[in-house]
Amino acid sequence: MKPKLLIDCDPGHDDAVAILYAARHFDLLGITTIFGNQTVDLTTRNALRVLALAGLATPVARGFDRPLVGEAPLAPDTHGASGLDGVELPEPAAAPIDLHAVQFIIDTASRHRGELTVAIIGAHTNLAVALRLEPRLAQWLRAITIMGGTAGVGNLRPQACVNILSDPEAAHIVFGSGIPIRWVGYETTRTVLMREGDIARLRAGGRVARAVADIAVYYRERQRAVYGIDGAPMHDSCAIVPLVRPGLVRYEAVPVAIELASPLTRGMTVVDRRPLQSGAALRSIEPRRAPNADMAIAVDVQGLIDELVDTMLAYDRPA
Amino acid sequence: MPKQKILIDCDPGHDDAVAILFAARHMDLVGVTTVHGNNTLENTTRNGLAVLELGGIDVPLAAGCAEPLAQPSVGVAPMHGKGGLDGADIAPPLRRPVAEHAVDFIIAMAEKHREELILATIGPETNIAMAIKREPRLRQWVREITVMGGSTTTGNYTPAAEFNIAGDVEAAWTVFESGIPIRMVGLNVTRRTGFDQGDIDRMRASGRRVAGVIADLMQFYLGRQRVGYGLDIAPMHDVCAIVPYVDDSLLQYRHTSARIELTGTHTRGMTVCDLRHPKGSAEPSLRNRSDPNALVAVEVRSRALIDRVIDTILDYA
Repeated sequence: MKPKLLIDCDPGHDDAVAILYAARHFDLLGITTIFGNQTVDLTTRNALRVLALAGLATPVARGFDRPLVGEAPLAPDTHGASGLDGVELPEPAAAPIDLHAVQFIIDTASRHRGELTVAIIGAHTNLAVALRLEPRLAQWLRAITIMGGTAGVGNLRPQACVNILSDPEAAHIVFGSGIPIRWVGYETTRTVLMREGDIARLRAGGRVARAVADIAVYYRERQRAVYGIDGAPMHDSCAIVPLVRPGLVRYEAVPVAIELASPLTRGMTVVDRRPLQSGAALRSIEPRRAPNADMAIAVDVQGLIDELVDTMLAYDRPA
Repeated sequence: MPKQKILIDCDPGHDDAVAILFAARHMDLVGVTTVHGNNTLENTTRNGLAVLELGGIDVPLAAGCAEPLAQPSVGVAPMHGKGGLDGADIAPPLRRPVAEHAVDFIIAMAEKHREELILATIGPETNIAMAIKREPRLRQWVREITVMGGSTTTGNYTPAAEFNIAGDVEAAWTVFESGIPIRMVGLNVTRRTGFDQGDIDRMRASGRRVAGVIADLMQFYLGRQRVGYGLDIAPMHDVCAIVPYVDDSLLQYRHTSARIELTGTHTRGMTVCDLRHPKGSAEPSLRNRSDPNALVAVEVRSRALIDRVIDTILDYA
């Protein structure tokens, strides 16, 4: 039986690939959308268009258009004016459902208590509000898998990344929720690149695979222009693929805190990677807190990319 | 070629001791100033004098500030023992510090050696910050400030902050914002650059006096690193700030922005370095960037660096 998944996202090029992957390998119960790579209107439309491309009827519930506190910092410089530029996608085949994303998360988790994993690959606003609205949600969810933040270099800021930066208070709520968390940061995902050979394989495939080739080509060009990165980083898939292919990523349990207070480092995921020995009395050194997330520390990059490409190619073959 | 002039502001400290001995051999060491940090000012001053005597290094030492500018003291560093330089039988020094305060001494040396002086800061930066505020012309007089402090990744005092910066965050901010060219080497590089047991044995086996004392000191320091951090090397943080002036192939830098975090709940004392683009923070496509102010060390040839340091120690009688 396929594991149950709900994806909270802001498609987004790498979100699109993650959705297409998840639909093949999971019981994808729904998609909730958030502002981030673009406005929530555009990310919702993009989610529906990706589902239309793949002929999927997954329910989509629209979420928040702004963070808990402050303005919505958008990231159109790598995703374009539509949030998913560079690829021809069909019009949506359905409308978003009537329910707000927050209510949809709560309802779905309640119907599948102990079985549902939520993948958060955009800002954390929807889940944070859901956790506050329904105190039992933290027990109902099986796990959360997060793409966001960084234990090293950042993107929108030197050492912070767009997903957490978009709503640091919400991320603080999620990371402090007590739910088992699997986390992959940007310092790792920026190395998981689709390159020319991978794109060529996709181009030889069917409709879905060729669309993903276009996605990768556009995204790669933007990454080169803005960050000097030579490939299309599959950030979001790194949070989803390992759930069904555990050998591809290695994890380490770490304490993570979200910085809220300072303009310079607000939105940073502060990870304790000091090799402090337990029991050693190191006076005046700040002690290590209890781990609250399993952080990805190593990825079989080509293995993960091959897994994505194989899945995209499988779309247009008979089942 | 004349040797480059350098003044070392420090808080000896096991790795400070090695940095002083290295600099004295290869550069024109014009003086040493001491600051609170690894231990009290009284102990770092005594230790500094003891190291100069050990090496027969005839330069003045001036004592500086005993406490940080605007924060409580973070307490002594646990790695160096109660006296700050534990582990060897070193006689109390006969020398005394000069009467001048370190801040005045730094200003005087910078003026005397205008545009030629490298200021090394390998402890909390209290003295340097005070000197900049006291004498704004220091900005023109000092050629470069070479800093052992901070990290581009993990800290030690806290998850995000390294001990020297955490020891006086406002002082570090003053130095990094001063406009004086900064060369920074942080824990990301120094934590993997140190003496292993084989290196210590080699120094002891030489039979030379200075090398023997250093071997004793490093044995103690290595023991502390094992117990505290599970490391099997004794990291030589401070000498990494000195070696580039002697061999520029040992460390690789990126010219980018390095800013000191003052107010974060979890990040106070962090060096926020912009390594997002190979061209550093001058790259116009980057969002939320600030002007480059530092050469930030990103790579090191650790074994070659340590071997160079050991050769220097063995060169002493």
